[in-house]
Amino acid sequence: MTTLDFISVRKTFGTNVALEALDLDVREGELITLLGPSGCGKTTALRIAAGFEFADSGAVLVAGSDITRTPAHKRNMGMVFQSYSLFPNLTVAKNVEFGLRTRGVPSNQRLHRVAEMLDLVQLTPFADRYPHQISGGQAQRVALARALAVQPRVLLLDEPLSALDAKVRTTLRDEIRRIQTEVGITTLFVTHDQEEALAISDRICVMSQGRVEQLGSPTEVYRNPTTAFVARFVGSMNEFDAEVTGPSEVTVAGQRIGAPGVASAAVGSRVSMLVRPEDLSLAEDGLPGTVTSVTFQGATTLVGVRLDVLDRLVSADVGQGAADKLQVGDRVAIGINGSNAVCEPVKAGRSVAVDEPVA
Amino acid sequence: MTDHIVHVLPELEGPPTAPTVMSPRPVGKPRARFARLVPNTVMIVCGLFFVLPLLTLARFSLQNVPTILLGSSTLFKKWSLSGLTKAFSAPGFWPALKLSLQLAGGTVLLTLGLLLPTAIWVHMRLPRARALIEFLTVLPYMIPAIALVAGIFVIKPHARWFLNSDFSLIPFYVVLALPFTYRSLDAGLRAIDLRTLVDASRSLGAGWLATLRTVIMPNMRTAIISASFLTGAVVIGEFTIANTLLKETLPRFQATYVGREPQAGYGLNLLALLLTIGLFVALSVLTKKRDRKGASFAVQMKRATTMALETTP
Repeated sequence: MTTLDFISVRKTFGTNVALEALDLDVREGELITLLGPSGCGKTTALRIAAGFEFADSGAVLVAGSDITRTPAHKRNMGMVFQSYSLFPNLTVAKNVEFGLRTRGVPSNQRLHRVAEMLDLVQLTPFADRYPHQISGGQAQRVALARALAVQPRVLLLDEPLSALDAKVRTTLRDEIRRIQTEVGITTLFVTHDQEEALAISDRICVMSQGRVEQLGSPTEVYRNPTTAFVARFVGSMNEFDAEVTGPSEVTVAGQRIGAPGVASAAVGSRVSMLVRPEDLSLAEDGLPGTVTSVTFQGATTLVGVRLDVLDRLVSADVGQGAADKLQVGDRVAIGINGSNAVCEPVKAGRSVAVDEPVA
Repeated sequence: MTDHIVHVLPELEGPPTAPTVMSPRPVGKPRARFARLVPNTVMIVCGLFFVLPLLTLARFSLQNVPTILLGSSTLFKKWSLSGLTKAFSAPGFWPALKLSLQLAGGTVLLTLGLLLPTAIWVHMRLPRARALIEFLTVLPYMIPAIALVAGIFVIKPHARWFLNSDFSLIPFYVVLALPFTYRSLDAGLRAIDLRTLVDASRSLGAGWLATLRTVIMPNMRTAIISASFLTGAVVIGEFTIANTLLKETLPRFQATYVGREPQAGYGLNLLALLLTIGLFVALSVLTKKRDRKGASFAVQMKRATTMALETTP
């Protein structure tokens, strides 16, 4: 059984704390994504797992055995990097073969394994090409094949899609997930792209400033963010200045809204209420405003509205029928569904008057 | 002279053709022709500046004509390689050449052995020290060789056992070659994504030595070859230190031989110069990227499958 565990892993670079005390267990065959902005410690965690950095304290276990001090080349981890990491002097086939060669696998077995891997990433016709003769997407598929060829215990993916253009990124993302499920390998995936994380992961570990903010399934992280940071970072959010007027109720610009997320805040205090675009709708008795943009997104349409009372721009995900006739400049009213809202107490001196919805 | 040569340049107008609406060969605009004229002239003048002394050197050393009679009337008379053969058979020539080549080889090996790991280490772990190391490596440019020689006199009484050996020149030559070697290796390392390649190699199970041998060095082939040739050229031409330590290297042999046999001595100098030029031409040819493919993957697979079938009882 191959699992990957981080136990209170701490890492500092000079005075900068990259990881505070990371506790994370990646289960067998699971794909966990470390998601967060740059500098949150996600890549450091991955590099510690790979053996390129060593933890100041804490332990890293693979299948229960401690590898905290094991050098990188003895860990048997497969890794795919952000930048193209294929060896320029070797053909695609030789690149895939590299790890097998270092392990002294007999040539016959090597060739068969390479053929198998190239078939898995559907690049058999490119076996004799050099890295400069293939595209970026193909290069990353070769890198994946190379990493998997050695039958690693854990697969580590360090933002493997970020150097690719949008279309290739989506295709390769799905392909990585297909291959990962097919091979059944325990995988740690690092990205700053929340869309990628939501699409590919069994569980997402949202990180900020060296700490885990939330660990949960994509649905949990998206629908029930436990902190305002997660709410803001994963998906889009509208932010409203609200006053707590009851045990599970807030008032926004005179409108009373049921918000279970406000439970812990004292009645009378002010909070910042975060609401997803899909929880805003066109409603007769909502907050009045003017349409500033209409963005067709396929099944839904994203409508930008500047609210009169708050002088704030919000975006609402509106179903096809309702959005069909909307045009920029139309007068509308916006209703707020507060059932999934995250409420954050407003700190003294902090203004929540942000004019743009948080992406 | 220049004017004359410029006129020799191919004319753009073609031979007279049947009158057609459009000329089959484009006629260059006067401005474009002038734009080409300037660089061509500069190149020709520079070329002459380099070639003329070599030609006169060749005439002096390879023509059996008294110097006073060397003129246009004797241009094609009495050319012979006898001067060179004389130099080759001079006592001390072959041992001097052998020593110089040995020193060049030793210097190349020691320089690469010291500088390649240093340059890699600086790139991987101490990128901030890069500027300092670069400064240190250009010091031999700024400090004249004679200063090194003064240093040798200081250590001489304490290191006689070392300085007695012919190969004691190697460490000094390593220092002299530093600027060329380090810059070349540094440029080679900058051209590849070193950190990612090393990380990739190590994650695939290769240790540091294997990574150096199978990943870094093959991808720095051009830089390593350039560094080696430049180092070799420095060693083959160095005189000051060899003379101070009284080592019979090729430049020292040449210096004394020219005094004894001017004609043959200069012939030897010409040969050494041509060899160096040849070395650089070889360098540029060798470092051109070659596609050295073995058997294609499909062929290898076929072979492996056939072998497996043959060995299966």
